[in-house]
Amino acid sequence: MQERLSEIQNQAKEDLAKAESLEEVEKIKTRYLGRKAGVINEIIKSIPGLPPEQRSSTGKSANILKKEIGKWIEERKSEFNTSSEASLTLPSLDLSLPGEHKPYGHKHPITQTIDEIKGIFRKLGFDIEYGPEVEHEYYNFDALNIPADHPSREDFDTFYLGNKRLLRSQTSTVQIRVMEKKQPPIRMIAPGKVFRPDTVDARHASMFHQIEGLMVDEGVSFSDLKYVLTLFAQSYFGQDIKMRFRPSFFPFTEPSAEIDISCSICKGTGCSVCSHSGWVEVLGAGMVDPNVFETVGYDAEKYTGFAFGLGVERLTMLKYGIDNIRLFFENDLRFLSQF
Amino acid sequence: MRISYNWLKDYCKHDLSVEALAEKLTNAGLVVDTINPVDDDFCLEVEVTTNRPDCQGFIGIAREVATIVRSKLVIPGVDYETTTEKVNDLTGVTIEDNELCPRYTARIIKDVKIAPSPEWLQKRINSIGLRPVNNIVDITNYVLMESGQPLHAFDFDKLSGKKIIVRRAKKGETMEAIDGSKCMLTDEMLVIADAQRPVAIAGIMGGRDTEVSDTTKNILLESAFFDPRNVRRTSRKLSLISDSSYRFERRVDPECVDWASRRAAKMILDIAGGQVVEGVIDQNYLEGKKVSVTLRMSRLNSLLGLNIDKDTAKGILERLQFTIKPEGETEDNLTVEVPSFRGDVYREVDLIEEVARIHGYDKIPAESNIRVKLTQDNIFDKVTEKTKSVISGLGFDEVITDSIVGELQEKHGNIWSDDSSIKIMNPIRQDENLLRKALVHNLLRVKKHNQNYGVEKTNIYELSKIYLPRGDGEMPEEKECLSILGEEGFLSLKGVIETILSQLNIVQKLETRRCDFGLFNPEKSAELKLGGKLLGYIGELSREVINDYDFRSKPCVAELDFDILIENTNLESSYHKIPSFPIVTRDLAVVSDETVTWAEIKGCIESLNIVYVDGIEFFDVYRGKQIEKGKKSIAFRLIFRADDRTLKSEEVDKLQEEILENLSNAFGIKLRA
Repeated sequence: MQERLSEIQNQAKEDLAKAESLEEVEKIKTRYLGRKAGVINEIIKSIPGLPPEQRSSTGKSANILKKEIGKWIEERKSEFNTSSEASLTLPSLDLSLPGEHKPYGHKHPITQTIDEIKGIFRKLGFDIEYGPEVEHEYYNFDALNIPADHPSREDFDTFYLGNKRLLRSQTSTVQIRVMEKKQPPIRMIAPGKVFRPDTVDARHASMFHQIEGLMVDEGVSFSDLKYVLTLFAQSYFGQDIKMRFRPSFFPFTEPSAEIDISCSICKGTGCSVCSHSGWVEVLGAGMVDPNVFETVGYDAEKYTGFAFGLGVERLTMLKYGIDNIRLFFENDLRFLSQF
Repeated sequence: MRISYNWLKDYCKHDLSVEALAEKLTNAGLVVDTINPVDDDFCLEVEVTTNRPDCQGFIGIAREVATIVRSKLVIPGVDYETTTEKVNDLTGVTIEDNELCPRYTARIIKDVKIAPSPEWLQKRINSIGLRPVNNIVDITNYVLMESGQPLHAFDFDKLSGKKIIVRRAKKGETMEAIDGSKCMLTDEMLVIADAQRPVAIAGIMGGRDTEVSDTTKNILLESAFFDPRNVRRTSRKLSLISDSSYRFERRVDPECVDWASRRAAKMILDIAGGQVVEGVIDQNYLEGKKVSVTLRMSRLNSLLGLNIDKDTAKGILERLQFTIKPEGETEDNLTVEVPSFRGDVYREVDLIEEVARIHGYDKIPAESNIRVKLTQDNIFDKVTEKTKSVISGLGFDEVITDSIVGELQEKHGNIWSDDSSIKIMNPIRQDENLLRKALVHNLLRVKKHNQNYGVEKTNIYELSKIYLPRGDGEMPEEKECLSILGEEGFLSLKGVIETILSQLNIVQKLETRRCDFGLFNPEKSAELKLGGKLLGYIGELSREVINDYDFRSKPCVAELDFDILIENTNLESSYHKIPSFPIVTRDLAVVSDETVTWAEIKGCIESLNIVYVDGIEFFDVYRGKQIEKGKKSIAFRLIFRADDRTLKSEEVDKLQEEILENLSNAFGIKLRA
């Protein structure tokens, strides 16, 4: 029996040395010193069955061993307690390893631009409106004061679908649809896709996005137009940009204007983006033509208004210095994930 | 319109540098695109908007410059000596359709000497990028550029019958134009004919047979006004565009017709010699009615947000050659007569624009009294923005693809409609001429593009319109769809859809039913319904599609009807009190027949209406060694909770037993041993 005890002593020593955590030490404690099924207690329980001469010495030795193992366990425990505090400074984890990444998705840059512009105009009290992409000729041309066989249609190359249907070549169509439904005051913008059979190159795509804007009320003036579009341009391009309003022509506005901003690439000193003029065109605008009001049944003497339109791709390209419009529709993830 | 800096000075004295001139023109609405040096001169490319045909000539642009710099417009003289012979004795003009040709003039110049133009004239022709031909052609081009009025010189001796008939072409008539193109004419086209045949397509191009050549001696000089719309239609039909047609379709100045003819005659006399026959044949059906417009200063100032006085406006209009009518002038009003070259001005607002652009848009203040107003919220925007945020948050990149597609979209079966797609009549490419009826095929193309560039995982989505035909010639149904392509398997993509539904607070259950499309693997594809309505489809791509696109992965795709999502969305979140007592969970593994679905198991438990069952969570399905063939092991967790106390272990044991018994009765399901 003394042999068995020394075997237990060695085994316990070995087990404790191998233990790697506090939990394991606790398990070892239960295994050796447990009240019910601990190895030492099993021995003590078996004493009455031993030959009488061995009973007393075995009891003594077992108790000594019990105390001894108890002491080792406490020692080992305290070791773990100190080392768990110290482990912070141990070189167990390479903190420079990269973190684990969850995939992160991106909204399309065109969506982001539209969202940003919607946000700016929402702050100015403009509602967001939508209209169909397949349109009747009437909404794309006639109601916008662009008569058939007129050279002004030249500026709006259009895909035709037959039976007076077409893919809208401008979002100005939504102006008409909104004014047909509602009476002034109106303050709205209409973002959406437009289509033109342009030769596709770095600056032209057959599908792109526009945002149309319209404000109609009593007493709306060109001054209001300049105010609203200046706020917009400063908000989108920055407070320090310069703006230039110059006369232009759109069949559905009179007077009409095109709006340039100082080139963001060269800061107005001249580069290829601005064709060395220092200015880049960003918006078309004007006071709503009385013929348009007449078409939708508004009193052009009582109400005045302004309308404007902008190209979303163009604005996005200017903002980020993107040189090819096709990138937006190729949807290369190496491009999309940059925004 | 190209103009020469030096040439322009003939008509208007100014001391502006070429850059300053370009800036002034630009700020008045004539954008100067480029300035190119040509010898000792500059060529300016001026963008003339379609409403300003008067600026399609040097004099028109000079008029603008003179107005801006307050200098005098100089118009060249057109007086010359003539023979005693009368033009009416030599030729005649008959106009058969005076709607399409309301004015036609003809002059005859005899005994000209065809030769190269003098150096100064060649230089001017060169300065605006044209090529000198001979003195007569160069002069007609010169006057066209100067005045904006196109002219044509016929070799008079080649005109059969020595006369001009302006008529519609006869069906089947043909003519070879000066540029060599053979024109097939129709009876909608207006031609200039001699006694036998068409010798010019009115306003567009002369014929080769009667053009001026080295041997020409006598010339018939045409100057006319042709109906703009008809010139435009004919020019489009024949695909023939010229400097003439460009100006006629924008409307020439009816009062300049004869002036330009005289100007050219004088120059021919000076340069090519010969004699101008006395008189002109001038068939004029134009009503010379002058348009008068009244401008109210109060309206001008309120529309522009300006405060300018009447004299300023008056000065601008006078310099632009509007005639002020003293009888129409009051304290607030100005009445003007519009010059014939400004057909674009016929209303008060047109005059307001004239004053505004010369006065300068920069002088209009950027000020406003616009009142504060709340933006109306728009459910479509809200749901769209939320949905995109959710999907992007789950690691998907948004793509935007072209609405115009090729035949390929029909190849693997249609999702939404079997009707043939709407066709574009004038596509850029004949193989891409259809309006898409689904988004998913475009996502496959995006995946393909990215795979070609080495991007293996393409988790993408698009939210855009598709166009479902509704019958011949009808407007299509524009359906807003959400299409998603995922690389993590069927259940992962289904999870994305379920997350969208839960984030949109959609309470209706997502129902799935097997579906059969060539696009999908029949084992892993489903029709999705929400509240009994078709929401869309989800599936792993079929082997055939994967092979067609040469994909190296097995993408899953879904396409949903976005309007159904919007209909069921509840943007208001609601608050539920957080439970005060803890839950008790039981993890179970049961064995069932293959035919039993999770929906049935879950439904069976829910149908027991046990108030303490707080949740049923699926873990996994296992088939393998320990499970009998034809059966599967399903692991799930039951969550129990009471609102008013902590449930006792014995209570939960009893409930669990009840559930298992019901599952056993319904489907023969046993707890896994």
